[in-house]
Amino acid sequence: MTLFSLQTLALNPLTAFGLILALGVLGGQMAKRIAHLPSVTGYILTGLIIGPSGLGLIQHDLLSEASLFSDLALGLALFELGRRVDLSWLNRERTLLLTSLITSALLFAGLFGLLIAFQLHYAPAALLAAVGMSSSAPILLEITRESHAEGQVTERLLATAGLNGLFSLVAFGLALSYSHFVSASGVESVFLRPSWLVLGSAALGLIAGLIAIRLNAWLSGRQREAQWVLLFAMIALVVGLAEQLAMMPAMALLVFGLATRNLRSGDTLTDPTLLARSSFFFVAFFVATGAQLVPSELMRLWPLAVAFVLLRMALAMAPWALAARSNGLTVKRGALLGLALTPMGSGTQTLMLLVPSTLLASQSSMLMPATLAVLCILELIGPLVSRFALKHAGETHE
Amino acid sequence: MSGPTERNETMLEFTTSQPLTLGVELELMILNRRDYNLTRGSDDLLELINRRQHGYDIKPEITQGMIEIGTAVHSKTSEMLDELTAIRTLLVNAAEKLNLGLAGGGSHPFQHWRDQRIYPKERYRLVSELYGYLAKQFTVYGQHIHIGCPNGDAAVRLTHYLSRYIPHFIALSASSPFHQGVDTLFQTSRLTSVNAFPLSGSMPLVHSWDEFNDYFAKMAHLGIVESMKDFYWDIRPKPEYGTVEIRICDTPLSVDTPVLLAAYAQMLARRCFEEGWNDIRQEHYLTYSYNRFQACRFGYDAVLVDALEARQTSLLEDMLETLNALLPHAQALGAEREHAQLRERVLKRNIDSQWLRGIHESSGSLPEVVRRQSERWMYGEIGRD
Repeated sequence: MTLFSLQTLALNPLTAFGLILALGVLGGQMAKRIAHLPSVTGYILTGLIIGPSGLGLIQHDLLSEASLFSDLALGLALFELGRRVDLSWLNRERTLLLTSLITSALLFAGLFGLLIAFQLHYAPAALLAAVGMSSSAPILLEITRESHAEGQVTERLLATAGLNGLFSLVAFGLALSYSHFVSASGVESVFLRPSWLVLGSAALGLIAGLIAIRLNAWLSGRQREAQWVLLFAMIALVVGLAEQLAMMPAMALLVFGLATRNLRSGDTLTDPTLLARSSFFFVAFFVATGAQLVPSELMRLWPLAVAFVLLRMALAMAPWALAARSNGLTVKRGALLGLALTPMGSGTQTLMLLVPSTLLASQSSMLMPATLAVLCILELIGPLVSRFALKHAGETHE
Repeated sequence: MSGPTERNETMLEFTTSQPLTLGVELELMILNRRDYNLTRGSDDLLELINRRQHGYDIKPEITQGMIEIGTAVHSKTSEMLDELTAIRTLLVNAAEKLNLGLAGGGSHPFQHWRDQRIYPKERYRLVSELYGYLAKQFTVYGQHIHIGCPNGDAAVRLTHYLSRYIPHFIALSASSPFHQGVDTLFQTSRLTSVNAFPLSGSMPLVHSWDEFNDYFAKMAHLGIVESMKDFYWDIRPKPEYGTVEIRICDTPLSVDTPVLLAAYAQMLARRCFEEGWNDIRQEHYLTYSYNRFQACRFGYDAVLVDALEARQTSLLEDMLETLNALLPHAQALGAEREHAQLRERVLKRNIDSQWLRGIHESSGSLPEVVRRQSERWMYGEIGRD
């Protein structure tokens, strides 16, 4: 602990939140005004500088004190991303569904192969490849919001990010099942636990969606403020319940959003200002994300991390470029859409906590370090790459 | 004062066209299907539509949440409806692929004007530069009706003649009761956005095409206008097309209502030409703005003031009387069916703005209002309203 560590002040969660928020806003503004970087990059850099790997002003226990707020931010973002998955559109526009499916499959296969080549065992390779299929909901939403991105690339980007998120979590559940199998766990761990994680979480999201639609209709559109508070409350509830029931909150939230978008009368449950109103949660989330980055792992495993990042970008761009015209885009805009998927799924570290400890110990001590090394690059370059892609696709507001 | 040479340089040539032929232009909303707000979609739609030859007039408008469609020149309104239906099919197919909504209506109920983006085209950039926020606030949606005229003098007469009937067109098309999220109590709030432009209103009191050209030359010489496009009048001659253009209407909610409005304009124009109307005088314009306001605010319940006869009359009665007088012209034009539909519409006091208010009353949600108006334009059955 440094001499100036704020731990000595024994900050409570609110003080920690305030501190993270204030420093984050300053960092975000500096990044934006001085370096013309996205604010998100500024928040993450602030976290990295003040976090345990930087100046050490904020340590892990302080981060966990403020995790309530960043968990909520992640929940809000995943809910919103779930709302971008419009099943009636996918039914009409099968090309979009197919392109997303192919992109996910390619990402999994390619990353899995790469990790095997880097001497990871099958189980951890499958787990990390599954996570590599998804894109970060908070980063994509914040970048599109900040740059006022609108248009076909943005719409398809967010829809495909929602779908890839779902595919990724299912793949992760299967990989987890396999991990339990290879670590010689019992039937319960091999089948029941992953099923509970995937199907149980999806069921929780679906039930939450049904309840939210009912309550929302009862409040009616004349009570917009009450509807907004209710929606926020439901999101907080789903995050909390999923954690309490040892489920995957990400899956529950994505399905919750998807249900409200697609079930009858769910279209009334909408608030375009949801993310803007919650911006303080997002600042806290990004600062906390930055604080959790571990550059030392990147230094150690940089060849793997760089190869992972480059391959992932190429694998996302290729199918979108090839299927661009069928998606109503030019080849260039298709490729840029694939590039915009670069930020990797937030909450990856939380997911990795679900991995059986026996596996971590025995088969791959490299899983967490590799994950952290990859995240270190993607969290920092992801927002920049996405903004670049959307700008050159002509979707941002000049 | 401009000399003869300068006048010749700015002379507008009036192209002769077949009298009473018709064409309409419709400005439509482009919406996202999440919360039914306006979205930047004109480029994406046009790119997709233009991949194949279609021969229809579909183009961008001042902001990117708008798209404009125009018909060819028709003498029969039934043919115009066929063309509009075909354009709708083409647009709806593309919009479905892109998950966009399209809708009629004079203005979007809850969009924020500052969020709108000017379409990257030189003319729109100049308009935006000159008019500042007015350009973005001009994200309103109208129907323009072109009526063919044999010459410029006839066009000037018809422009004055139709100005008397502007309140009728307003009531028949009013579909913008909400503005920036609030019920304005008006049947059409769109015209308030148009009023803000310095060159809005009505054509000055000129009696012939020569007088009009003198006026235009003066305005051009003073550096106020460069072309007819700079006049945002409710009705204006359109010399390059050889038409008079009625610009007062909101875009109706259904794809077939524009045809009824065009038929009404055609009947009125025939009456003007057949009766050799030439009663151009200032008194007609004394109550122009007042009557226009009354129709915008109250629709069919407006009270019109006739300055010449110094009497008040209800808009509804005035429309029914006019329709009675137009019956022989409708018969001559083969537009009896449209005449009957117009009469029924007036008798039932069928007005789009009340339909929108009804949905808002039952749902309490403006996104739901827009969703329904989008469904009505995209999938509405022809002849149902």
